[in-house]
Amino acid sequence: MALVLDGVAFGLQLALLATGLTLIYGLAGVLNLAHGQLVVAAAMVGAVALGAGAPVLLALGLAVVTAGAAAVLLDVTLLRPVYRLRGQARVLLSLLLTLGVAFAADGLLVHSFPFTRLNLSVATPSVELLGVTVRSASVVASLVAIVALGGLVVLLRTTRVGRAIRSLTQDEEGAQLCGVDPGRTRRLVFVLGGSMAGLVAVTQGLVSSVGATSGLDLTIFALIVTVVGGLGRVSGAVVAGVLLGVVHAVAAFHIGTVLTFVILLVAAIVVILVRPSGILGGAGS
Amino acid sequence: MSGPLGLGPGGVVAPPASSLRAYLPIVVASVVLALVPLSLGGSRYFLSLGVHLLVVASYAVAFNLVFGSTSQLFLCQGALAGAAAYCSVILGNRYGLPLWLTIPAGVGLAALLGGGLSWVAVSRRLEVIYLGIVTLAFSLVFTNLLLGGRELTGGETGLVVDGGAGTWLRSPAAAYYLFLALLVGHLVVYRAIERSRLGWGFRALRDDEVAAALAGVDVARAKVTAGVVGAAMLGSVGATFAAHEGFVSPTTFAFGEVDVRVLVVLALGGVGTLLGPVVGAVVVTVVDELLRPLGQLRLTVYGVVLVVIFLGFRQGMVRSVRSLWMRAGTRAGPRTD
Repeated sequence: MALVLDGVAFGLQLALLATGLTLIYGLAGVLNLAHGQLVVAAAMVGAVALGAGAPVLLALGLAVVTAGAAAVLLDVTLLRPVYRLRGQARVLLSLLLTLGVAFAADGLLVHSFPFTRLNLSVATPSVELLGVTVRSASVVASLVAIVALGGLVVLLRTTRVGRAIRSLTQDEEGAQLCGVDPGRTRRLVFVLGGSMAGLVAVTQGLVSSVGATSGLDLTIFALIVTVVGGLGRVSGAVVAGVLLGVVHAVAAFHIGTVLTFVILLVAAIVVILVRPSGILGGAGS
Repeated sequence: MSGPLGLGPGGVVAPPASSLRAYLPIVVASVVLALVPLSLGGSRYFLSLGVHLLVVASYAVAFNLVFGSTSQLFLCQGALAGAAAYCSVILGNRYGLPLWLTIPAGVGLAALLGGGLSWVAVSRRLEVIYLGIVTLAFSLVFTNLLLGGRELTGGETGLVVDGGAGTWLRSPAAAYYLFLALLVGHLVVYRAIERSRLGWGFRALRDDEVAAALAGVDVARAKVTAGVVGAAMLGSVGATFAAHEGFVSPTTFAFGEVDVRVLVVLALGGVGTLLGPVVGAVVVTVVDELLRPLGQLRLTVYGVVLVVIFLGFRQGMVRSVRSLWMRAGTRAGPRTD
């Protein structure tokens, strides 16, 4: 039971990480391989601000804003030529470009912050939940993730902007014909996706810590969850995140982290081969 | 779709018709590379740098065949080379088999894996991004299995290679010429395929797969063949490199170590050109040495180079130089590619 709760907590963070990636892919056709570096950049800004004596909430706010701003900067600068292409060509070019960005950012971050880690380990009394003792940090992180994911779902389902995002995701040209401004909506989605990456830095900083070298691992985890949930499907990413989080916790306890990682990777491969639209299935993405 | 999904120029250039003109660039490149150790006075340091240059160039020729010719995004060069290397080393160390048996066995395994990946991609009709993710996941699975299978692979510390110990294989000068021979072999195979009926099929399917299929190209077979041959190339270099170094570890074949470099090399030299991998490898090796003091920032330089290439100079150095050359030759003549 404790394992499952741990898994759910980890899974919620995976979900937060993956929804940012999948949202951007679904709307813009950009598979952002620098997603993990967004998290790291946010973490470094947060850690530096905390180190400089900024109040916790301000520092974390700065962290989230950094990731959102970095994502939208990517959208309006380097990725602009990408949007002139369509379909496969766009996906491939964006993949290679963001891979370059990921290397560039990784080198810069590791070079500039070799020993900085975002660590928000406030004195954490444990709490009793469903008869199990859990760390309160873990509960707080999960609550942050749930609020963010819930907010995102409400935004997508009920607001005008949300409808614009969903319609563009389904049919770019059709939505444009109905008067949806693709550029503006896209910038909004990059802000949203980037901010969610920034929030991952916060929640991850709560339960453990984020260092400068975590970028690639975070991107890989985001990719696995996104693929299992179905590329571009927000609900799929949430379900897949929680599911894989539980699998990760249970498997890591029994067979060790190395083989667990192999299991997650194989799960992603199998989903691509058997059910490319993700575990929630359905036609298209 | 033009080129490998918008990479490289739209018009796919056929190789020269005459055999002399088709293979002359390989002869010139190999003569130049063969003279390099003599001009550097045969220092051990430069020779081992040269070996690394030839190895990465050979990897890039293989990637060029798989990605450049048939648009299959294999993000597992390191894993395929590593599978061959580990297979060869384990067979040699455990059963005392000689290198001339274990290296071909490793190459066979790599070819099987590469062909298998291609076949799966073709039969499941994977889009390029999904094949990229599958092969990337395959790379990571491979690395983690190496780390996890400690009894067989030595885990993080790797394995000392028994085969080839104390022979000429371990001498840097001999190894340099061995790897040069491998590279030349790869280039000849690449050009020969380009000039064959298969190469004609590659050019057709690179322009438009559906049209190519209608014109009678067996797209599935062409792609799987490219996967098998490319993986065999990767495997032959990986297994030979292991025998030369006398040591294998997961980092030797890690994604960040091999695939990233090969991608930069090929993008810089020019996807789909014969000598692009060689030119790219020379530039990357030299720049890498010059930037060594930068430490971690070297990765940043690679990243920026990739971004700049994919944003503005997607044709790569070989084609840029060639078109400059042609413009100079014909004065105001139109660009040919």
